[in-house]
Amino acid sequence: MLSAELNTTLQGIAQKLDPESEKGKALSHFLDKGFPTSKWEEWKYTSLKDFNGIDRNWFPKGNSNLPVSADWAELIIRSSDAYLSIEKPSSNEGMEVLSFDEFIQKCPEFQEIWSDKKPILDQNSLYDLNVALAPQHTVLWIKKDVEISKAILHQYQVNSTEKSSSVQSRLLIYLEEGAKVSLMEQQTSTGSADILSNFVQEIFVSKGAQFTYLKDQDFQQGVSHIDHTFIYQAEGSQVDTFTFSLNASLIRNNLHFYIEGSQVVSNLNGLYVPGENQLMDSHTVVDHRMPHAESNELYKGVLLGNATGVFNGKIFVRQDAQKTNAFQSCRNVLASTRATMNTKPQLEIWADDVKCSHGTTTGQLNEEALFYMRSRGISLPAARTLLLLAFVQEVINKVEHPVLRESLTEKIIAKIQQSVDLSN
Amino acid sequence: MLSIKNLHASIGEKEILRGIDLEVKAGEVHAIMGPNGSGKSTLASVLAGREDYEVTEGTVQFLGKDLLDLAPEARAAEGIFLAFQYPVEIPGVSTTNFLKSAVNEIRKYRGEDPMDAVQFLKMFKEKMAYVNIDQSLLSRALNEGFSGGEKKRNEIFQMAVLDPKLAILDETDSGLDIDALRIVAEGVNKLKSPNNATIVVTHYQRLLDYIVPDYVHVLYKGRIVKSGTKELALELEERGYDWIKSEVDQ
Repeated sequence: MLSAELNTTLQGIAQKLDPESEKGKALSHFLDKGFPTSKWEEWKYTSLKDFNGIDRNWFPKGNSNLPVSADWAELIIRSSDAYLSIEKPSSNEGMEVLSFDEFIQKCPEFQEIWSDKKPILDQNSLYDLNVALAPQHTVLWIKKDVEISKAILHQYQVNSTEKSSSVQSRLLIYLEEGAKVSLMEQQTSTGSADILSNFVQEIFVSKGAQFTYLKDQDFQQGVSHIDHTFIYQAEGSQVDTFTFSLNASLIRNNLHFYIEGSQVVSNLNGLYVPGENQLMDSHTVVDHRMPHAESNELYKGVLLGNATGVFNGKIFVRQDAQKTNAFQSCRNVLASTRATMNTKPQLEIWADDVKCSHGTTTGQLNEEALFYMRSRGISLPAARTLLLLAFVQEVINKVEHPVLRESLTEKIIAKIQQSVDLSN
Repeated sequence: MLSIKNLHASIGEKEILRGIDLEVKAGEVHAIMGPNGSGKSTLASVLAGREDYEVTEGTVQFLGKDLLDLAPEARAAEGIFLAFQYPVEIPGVSTTNFLKSAVNEIRKYRGEDPMDAVQFLKMFKEKMAYVNIDQSLLSRALNEGFSGGEKKRNEIFQMAVLDPKLAILDETDSGLDIDALRIVAEGVNKLKSPNNATIVVTHYQRLLDYIVPDYVHVLYKGRIVKSGTKELALELEERGYDWIKSEVDQ
């Protein structure tokens, strides 16, 4: 339960909201439930119990000084503490970045899509907190049959203030029929104070549209980042996500795919490399609501130091979703004897004509392989690095953009090499 | 070059080597033979530095250094090479990348500058010819899905690249058909020089038709119980190991 101090602060905010409004209701839900603790099944290994006792600066002002240098990007947008700026505008009229209100005015037909959405929000009080406190959605709107050949860069940044702070940010992405775009997201932070970053993204991918979403999560120690990415896919659409979790005190990714049409393809790729005093938790949901769709999930983890990893992969195949193909694989290497990995695949299948498979493994580096490499003159740290790098390469190689592939590889090598476990 | 004195080694509670003495000089080829379980592979593993074995007594000098004091990678850098009986699969790492790391780590150990891509290309080409190995095999993940012959040929290719002073071939003939055996043996013979030495560990005599030893030693119950020249190997082929066993066990 929330501490008295925090409760008073949030009640104060609630009084300024209309209790019947979306925000008012959401905050009242949050006040009832508080932050998740390990007693909540969905948060068993990722308790946020301590957050119930921390009053924060709930509305920090964005102030960012990130340099802009990505000539590969068509458009660069930045959310600094939830405040949006366009850093590099695009002359392409096929897309727009605007506020939710402006968007609904220009695209009233979206109202119906918006009110019909059915996300799975069990045990997710942080979604309520986000709805209650976040400023308006930023909307990225890609219009019918528009193909954006260069990627869009989103710099998501949270900045520490004197006091503990919390950033609530919302992004809405709407791809109209036949649109095609890639979004590259760099999630970073400044300062070293304690920050709760709570980011909600709702993505609507219309008929035949194609969307690629890469997240590079590289925060400073002290940041707890809760990421909710809910993707709604219509008939014949394809979505590929790449979630690279590199640094933060805590990362919880709630990645949900709602398959709402046939001939949909959903590819979920993830790689997490938590180190000393870091926890990384991937909770994915693939909800097959319609027939003839395919989902492929490949998650890998390398755990260093005393890191904790969590993978929970849910696949629902609803009664109507005949001829579904759903595959899930999660493989982990404990590079340290002090690291822990918790995995839980969960398949719920109500349709009878489907193909589903899943597999999770957690192990250590092969001692025989290490000796073999050492007997050829490769030192133990170098042998471990080489094996770990080969292990993560499978996920990195799926990234099409060579510049990103390279920078991710470099960051991961650096992180692995810094780890003291390598020479023990 | 190599001087083993009264070497004892155990795994867990079990003593496997019980006092080995062996002298190997540059330019020599020594064959270590013996029945199953006599300690042949253990000797090879202990020399390469496998940590599963504990050396309880004795010394091993290699080119004036205390070999037992060195980590496996340092032994490799000093010039020891073990061709594995069962080469290990290294998923995701190609032979070329593996060898580039190995060569440059060894050069670093010796205080030499790393080799660049062009130099590697030239050297790999040269060494490929030695063992008649195909480029496509070198680009694949090391040993992953290789046939028995491909694995052994790859071992000899690695040996050619690393150019060791002392090569230890651990049952290199196991799992090889006669053609593969000949190719592997030819590779080993080409790499032989007055400056390096070879220890061939084998159960059967047939490999010694191709790699002719200067000395043959019979290992039994963790000791060298008989030494001789290549004629000893022929005698073993004809008479088996039983006569030696009964000589020793008396």
